[in-house]
Amino acid sequence: MNNGKSRREFLRDMGLGAAMLPFVSNLPSVLTLQKPLRKQRLVILFSPDGIVPSTFWPDSVGPYFDFKKSLAPLEPFKKQTLILNGVCDRIRGDGDGHMRGIGCLLTGTELFPGNVQGGSDTPAGWSSGISIDQEIKNFLQKNPATRTRFGSLEFGVMVPDHADTWTRMCYAGPNKPIAPIDDPYQMFSKLYGQLKDQESLKSILDDLKEDLAKVRTQISAEDRQLLDEHTALVRDMEKEILNARTTDIGHAVPVIEPGVRRDNDNIPKISKLQIDLMVSSFVADSARVATLQYTNSVGQARFTWLGIKEGQHDLSHEPDSNKEAQDKLTKINEWYCQQLAYLAQRLKSTKEPDGSGNLLDNTTIVWTNELGQGNSHTLDNIPFVIVGGGAGFDMGRSLKYANVPHNRLLMSLANSFGHRIDKFGNPNFCGSGLLNGLNL
Amino acid sequence: MSINEVLRPYISIGSTTLLLVVSLALPAKAQQKSKNPIPPDGATVYKQKCASCHGDKAQGGPGYQKPLAGSRSIAELTSFIKQSMPPGPKKCPPAEAEPVASFLYNNFYSALAQEKNRPARVTLARLTVKQFRNAIADLIGGYHATIPSDAQNGLRAEYFKSRNYDFKQKVIERTDSTINFDFGSGAPTAGDYDPRFFSILWQGSILAPDTGEYEFVVKSNHGTRFYLNNAQVPLIDGMIRSGNQTEFSATVFLIGGRAYPMRLDFIKANQGVDDTDKQKGKPAGPASISLLWRRPKLAIEPIPNRFLFNKSNQSTFVVQTPFPPDDRSIGYERGNSVSKEWDEATTTGAIETANFVTSNLARVSGVPDNDAQRTEKLTNYCRQFLQRAFRSPISPTLEQTYIKKQFESAKSPEAAVKRVILLALKSPRFLYREIGSSKRDAYYVASQLAFSLWDSVPDPELLRLVETGGLETQDQILRQAERMVTSPRAWTKLQSFLMAWLKVDEVPDIVKSTKSFPGFDGDTGRDLRSSFELFLENTAWSQNSDYRELMLSPTVFLNGRLAKIYGVSLPVDAPFQSVQLNPEKRSGLLTQPYLLSKFAYLETSSPIHRGVIIVRSLLGRTLQPPPSAFAPTSPSLHPEWTTRERIAAQTKPDACNSCHGIINPLGFTLEGFDAIGRLRATESGKPIDTSGSYLARNGKLAKFSNVNDLGKYIVESDEGQSAFVEKLFQHMVKQPVLAYGPRMLPGLVQTFGDNRYSIRKLMAQVAVQSAMSQPVGKQ
Repeated sequence: MNNGKSRREFLRDMGLGAAMLPFVSNLPSVLTLQKPLRKQRLVILFSPDGIVPSTFWPDSVGPYFDFKKSLAPLEPFKKQTLILNGVCDRIRGDGDGHMRGIGCLLTGTELFPGNVQGGSDTPAGWSSGISIDQEIKNFLQKNPATRTRFGSLEFGVMVPDHADTWTRMCYAGPNKPIAPIDDPYQMFSKLYGQLKDQESLKSILDDLKEDLAKVRTQISAEDRQLLDEHTALVRDMEKEILNARTTDIGHAVPVIEPGVRRDNDNIPKISKLQIDLMVSSFVADSARVATLQYTNSVGQARFTWLGIKEGQHDLSHEPDSNKEAQDKLTKINEWYCQQLAYLAQRLKSTKEPDGSGNLLDNTTIVWTNELGQGNSHTLDNIPFVIVGGGAGFDMGRSLKYANVPHNRLLMSLANSFGHRIDKFGNPNFCGSGLLNGLNL
Repeated sequence: MSINEVLRPYISIGSTTLLLVVSLALPAKAQQKSKNPIPPDGATVYKQKCASCHGDKAQGGPGYQKPLAGSRSIAELTSFIKQSMPPGPKKCPPAEAEPVASFLYNNFYSALAQEKNRPARVTLARLTVKQFRNAIADLIGGYHATIPSDAQNGLRAEYFKSRNYDFKQKVIERTDSTINFDFGSGAPTAGDYDPRFFSILWQGSILAPDTGEYEFVVKSNHGTRFYLNNAQVPLIDGMIRSGNQTEFSATVFLIGGRAYPMRLDFIKANQGVDDTDKQKGKPAGPASISLLWRRPKLAIEPIPNRFLFNKSNQSTFVVQTPFPPDDRSIGYERGNSVSKEWDEATTTGAIETANFVTSNLARVSGVPDNDAQRTEKLTNYCRQFLQRAFRSPISPTLEQTYIKKQFESAKSPEAAVKRVILLALKSPRFLYREIGSSKRDAYYVASQLAFSLWDSVPDPELLRLVETGGLETQDQILRQAERMVTSPRAWTKLQSFLMAWLKVDEVPDIVKSTKSFPGFDGDTGRDLRSSFELFLENTAWSQNSDYRELMLSPTVFLNGRLAKIYGVSLPVDAPFQSVQLNPEKRSGLLTQPYLLSKFAYLETSSPIHRGVIIVRSLLGRTLQPPPSAFAPTSPSLHPEWTTRERIAAQTKPDACNSCHGIINPLGFTLEGFDAIGRLRATESGKPIDTSGSYLARNGKLAKFSNVNDLGKYIVESDEGQSAFVEKLFQHMVKQPVLAYGPRMLPGLVQTFGDNRYSIRKLMAQVAVQSAMSQPVGKQ
């Protein structure tokens, strides 16, 4: 916050307890009307196929906990980390566990019946509701003060090139899946293509004007008027390009490593490129919401760079008794956690353009998964690991809930942006309101 | 061309607003007629009392050197003349001041009159939007055929008895005329299918008849995917069925007259994990699929057979950037002005094109990414691109500015190509017609032919001839024009002319009162449009391509739905076919049900609208704009009157009659047809009177007993032929015909007759004569 006080300090000073939080979490906009809102952001990170509970969940609850191996890369961000155990995806209906796992994860509602047959259960189609990232994006885009060029950006890493229930996590509405962009160069051109085009245009303007002048001498005096009008329009365009450069994005167009092919073994490189582009887009304030989807539900990435030859999904089916497989899965989740840590590190080391702290102070990263555990296909205990100060939750804790529906967490995320909703997705799982305990 | 056309009133028909806006400009003398039996005539007064000082055309004379031109109104001029003219004590008689002011204003003084009196000349013009889009499509696509050769109508269909296109499981390959199938719960064709699992693949191309936004719709209760003009990315992906969603649509901008490669997938089987075993013993569900479109400004319909082809070409790059419309104020689209919106659109279009080229560089340029001489070859590609875009050889100076400089300063060959394309497409040498070819060389001729006949840059054959000296003599040029007029591109151009000439290009659809015409719905209007398109294609573009057939043929095309409404016996699902519909009473395009319906009200015919089209388009005359809008007399006021009687009564005043005296007797010849173009013998219990007349420009009065007489008159008269030739010329060349000298039009009309009124040959002649002529005022 601009006055230098944290949200918690502010509330404490005001004598407001955690119980009041749901009603006052929009305080900055109420009480500091003259000051600009801080740029609250949300990032949702998805990795597939469940985790290994024994190497993932901390043993103790509260502020004094130790990271296990899967989460070890978060050690430097312990004070900005919140681990939520016991949050469950209780949505049932059509579709197998993986399909519902990804399709209901952010939408909190059932899949439509359809023609996609999973490994079990009945066939299903797309989700029947909007996903929380899009819900928050729409809320932010409605308000001129929080509106950004894109609102949200959907990143991917090696998402298979076919649209089906297993490959889509974000939904603009019922039956409206959003394809993540898993090609960093495509994302780059979405973010900076216009600027690049303007640069190309600028580079030819002098030659164009020169030739217009030359052509002018070759036509009759009567016809010159039309060409003169045209030349004036070209000059206008030049002025506009020059003006645009003084009010542009406020940072240099990032230079990204060229020629990284979309290839399994390049996943680490693609991941880094996408994270770097995401941070750049935040600096430019092109979006306040971003998602980053690693492969897909049932993802079969082969972690060759970790010395693992098997596909992730095949490994995830191995029983708990297969120690070697569980070790590999732990390593895999540790690698995903490293990506999370890299993102957190990049955000932390990047200052807000207005000088009010760093990007991580205002960004909430939620790392999640379509399953609680791969070999059981359970939708209970879905991993939700939250890093960063965007939502204003009280961080640095490990929490344990008893089978609470994840709809409540989705609502809490929306409310942390000031978006007052008391239902999201299937209303039967929203009865108890926002998820308690996120703030002390 | 006359400037009066600038002021042409809108003819609005078919909507619920019944506006009668065609009337007569009210000359001052007509107003005073009743008060003063001998009104002073402005022209006579000017000649007798003013011309000696001001010159006979107000251009300035011995008494006053400056031309009379300015911005005063007629009233201001009148008052000035009364007070100050002529110099000396004896002033202009008040009664003469207004007529002479009015004469002066309308003929010399006003800005419009000034413009009208300026001698016609070929003016500098930019490419029209249509030309811009076509040129870029051909520059990028290498000028492949717009419609695949040897293609048959319909789509190539392959049916498989497998969940996916397993070619070993193919049951049948055939041509399907349209995609509009309900297979029920059985097999799609004869063959040993498991009716629960089968798949179908349709391939070919879709011809877009007009330029604009097309909406495509796939309806199916199973998985489908539709690719159009892009083999990699589907335009519509409906492979996942979800909830009640059975309809998928997408919109795309297409250039008219081109066939676009397509592919439609259909899979009756669940996606994902193979569930063949799970489905064992379960009954087969229903299956259906249809492929529909909404052509620009028309209603949604299954894509008709005549727009589907069983073969395909490569895809076409279509600039999707929206453009502001071209100026059409004088009856044809032309590039006579520039605006900020236009300039911005050309910039966005150039960027769009440059980005497409650079992201598909190997395919578009033909230079592989790993080629050892890549830079050199890309330079060559750029040189050829410039030569084709500029329609001129690339001089060393141009090469330096447009290519070398860019390759030297850009960071990579890709970036250089991007700059070259941007610069080329923003260059006046591309955007303007024939800049820089000060002398009439073969490049100029090639460019004229290509734009006149195809609205695009010269094709490789023309450029080859230019470079080998094969486009020099009139014979050589004519041979090329005759080659070009056989192409579907020329038909596209002619068709767009016919629609614009007959004023049915902007609002193609038709609405009628379903109370008066039960069964006339959205389908009917759309079907009539198709019927009309078929008529034009089978007359104007037939083997003979005969203007007389266009104007006189009694042919009417109907399908089953239309046949029912027009009282012809056809099966209800019959496709369009030529039928006998009162052939003895029908006479060419004037009696096409589509035009008769278009130029009529919701319930009643409109002799005025029909007459105006005859006067303006078919006879080439100009009509004064009406002084104000009139509401037509409602038929219910005098139910005993026929339409003819009602119109005659309403336009009886002198003020109306100087125009309606021409319009009505022509429109009345079509009174034998009701508001949807059905033959009728009586109206309001009275017999129909179809007699009419026309006072020609040569003073001869022609009398007609019906539209057959009128049709023959137009076809045989110099007025009718000249009007057709002049309007076609202007549509093709986008310059006034007079700019090519007074002998151009009569010469073309003469040749038209010598060539048995072949429209195709006329187009070739227009292209050749305009390309070879030295235009007036262009040195």
